[in-house]
Amino acid sequence: MRETRVGTGLALSRRVFLQRAAFTASLLTMARVPAAARDALGATAAPAASALSAAERELLTQVVERLVDAGDPAAPAVRATGAIAAIERLLAQVDASVRADLPLALRLFDWGPMLFDLRWARFTELDDGGKDRAIRGWMQSRFAFRRLVFDALRNLAFVGYYSQDATWPLLGYKGPLVGGGNVS
Amino acid sequence: MIVSMRARGGDLMETVDVCVIGSGAGGAVAAAELAAGGRSVVVLEQGHHWTAKDFVQREDVMLPRLFEEGGMRATTDGAIRIIQGRCIGGSTVHNLCYCFRTPDPILAFWRDQYGLTELTPDALAPSFARVEQTLHVTQIREDEVNTLNRLIRAGAEKLGYSGFVTKHNRRGCVQAGYCLLGCSYNAKQSMLVTYVPRADAAGARIYANVQVERIEADHGRVRRVLGRVAGDDGSTHGAVEVRAKVVVLAAGAVASPDILLRSKLGNDDGQVGRNLHLHPAVVATGFFDDEVHAYRGIPQSYYIDEFIDLEHDPHSGYVLMPIIEFPAMTAASTPGFGKSHAALMRAYARSGGLLVLLHDRTAGRVRSGDALAKPRIAYELEPRDAAQMAEGLVHCAEVLFAAGARRVLIPYLPEPLLLERDADLTVIARRGARHGSLTSTAVHPQSTCRMGRDAKTSVVNAWGECHTTEGLFVADMSVFPTSIGVPPQITTAMFADRTAHYILDNWARLGA
Repeated sequence: MRETRVGTGLALSRRVFLQRAAFTASLLTMARVPAAARDALGATAAPAASALSAAERELLTQVVERLVDAGDPAAPAVRATGAIAAIERLLAQVDASVRADLPLALRLFDWGPMLFDLRWARFTELDDGGKDRAIRGWMQSRFAFRRLVFDALRNLAFVGYYSQDATWPLLGYKGPLVGGGNVS
Repeated sequence: MIVSMRARGGDLMETVDVCVIGSGAGGAVAAAELAAGGRSVVVLEQGHHWTAKDFVQREDVMLPRLFEEGGMRATTDGAIRIIQGRCIGGSTVHNLCYCFRTPDPILAFWRDQYGLTELTPDALAPSFARVEQTLHVTQIREDEVNTLNRLIRAGAEKLGYSGFVTKHNRRGCVQAGYCLLGCSYNAKQSMLVTYVPRADAAGARIYANVQVERIEADHGRVRRVLGRVAGDDGSTHGAVEVRAKVVVLAAGAVASPDILLRSKLGNDDGQVGRNLHLHPAVVATGFFDDEVHAYRGIPQSYYIDEFIDLEHDPHSGYVLMPIIEFPAMTAASTPGFGKSHAALMRAYARSGGLLVLLHDRTAGRVRSGDALAKPRIAYELEPRDAAQMAEGLVHCAEVLFAAGARRVLIPYLPEPLLLERDADLTVIARRGARHGSLTSTAVHPQSTCRMGRDAKTSVVNAWGECHTTEGLFVADMSVFPTSIGVPPQITTAMFADRTAHYILDNWARLGA
């Protein structure tokens, strides 16, 4: 049986790999990752151990960068907004079983071009155009689990990024009318 | 006494006349009326006790605070996002304040089809009156209609469509526009600032952060409620047991059937959790030349009822309502990604939505899931409802263009359809609206423990009492026999008031 080596030290058969992927997608969707978060984003900094390794954080960053890319240097850069930190704080509040599966979903996303698009490169090795084509493959896939993974990562990206005050001026959104308040 | 059990810690053991599960439009009303009527009452609420000072008008903070699964609860297939409250005050804390009595044709339909002969407008009038007075239901003034609603109204009037400015439950509204994230000014007359304080003042003991696991009965009579003090991360901080002669279940049309199913109560004929209606909604977004800032002012005050005729067809139709979300929710609701998505977001201040809210005939089902508070929600839009949705979106686009929109977005998946002002709108009808083909949201789950005279086709009787278990009542949107076709807040509160007074009037039997 063909085996695929995913990330560091995780050897899976293709069948088991896809089963796990579907399972992960279901979990992400059922738990609605962005939402299951508790007082976790932005002004509420809930300290917690990160669910992601440095490599996974970098992968997530690159995914978010392409999802929110405006093609405009005036748009706040993902790495400058704190969006990833906000997503990590959010993830820290998610049910542990779901949090544990996010790294697998990310790795699946990274290896997606090889698994699904027959390209000999991982997501993180593609140029911007290639990354966008890979993302589009997830978004338009006929496989429900791929679309669910896409939705979960997309929701994380948008909630993380557009909840940042730095993004609001470009939208013309004037922000809250109340100052301060209880955000702890 | 309102107690945050997470802060207090420890176990909770109570013995009372009545245990109310849930503190939203049903539970808060029932608790206040029962406590005022002299009964000892405990209220168990799964969510936190947040107050105005906590409502900071930020999505990232408020979504996790106020909503089930942080606002991202969805049908099991992910096709329809379901918005439900999870806090003291329930969904009334985040709703947008539309106040409608149950339409007479719907009541007539329920009387005729479900044997609920008691449900006449005259018989229900006292409960409606009490509720409307307590919630300060008043007509929205013309000067309170915000820019988006004025534009939509102008568009509808240009097309000759029937519509009107509605009644709301607000007092001293400052028109900030953040109703969806909780009112920072205590102007929204939600349960949090009306019935919950009344229940508290009348002696009810209200406990937040309590997750009910099951209700137990003995020889056909309800006996006690068991639960736990739950942490945000799913951890358990204490055990809860409330012994009661009467239990009023008002946890909403998803959690209430989940609790009954876990309790193995009321389901002799397999009706619990069935007949789920959602009022599914799809938003068409108009992009105007000038800034609208639709998120400022009262979000929803105008209401288009041109396309629903309950007299002739109590089972179908749809209404159109203006709507706007805040940036993160808007981004998540707008299909696509990258530059095209970012370009749409750049037009946020110039955009405003008009949603189709479907009076659905489709019947879904709630089943218990693997974990508490995560039930499985199955719902697949029937073709005739889908056809109505597509028709409604054509009318949304018509109205938005008549209102002055330059472009209209229909949220097809995976990528939206953008229509220019001179577009042929029949493209929407031709493309249709299959289940899962559009970004869809539902805020009114209902009918999963429906009311009826026949125990084989319903869960509770005309007073909300479970057919199979004496002393077990349901008092939330679960009891609606069918989709109600209008925003349900007032009907839910009315049924809860009526159930509470029935319990008081029949205490000799129920309290024995």
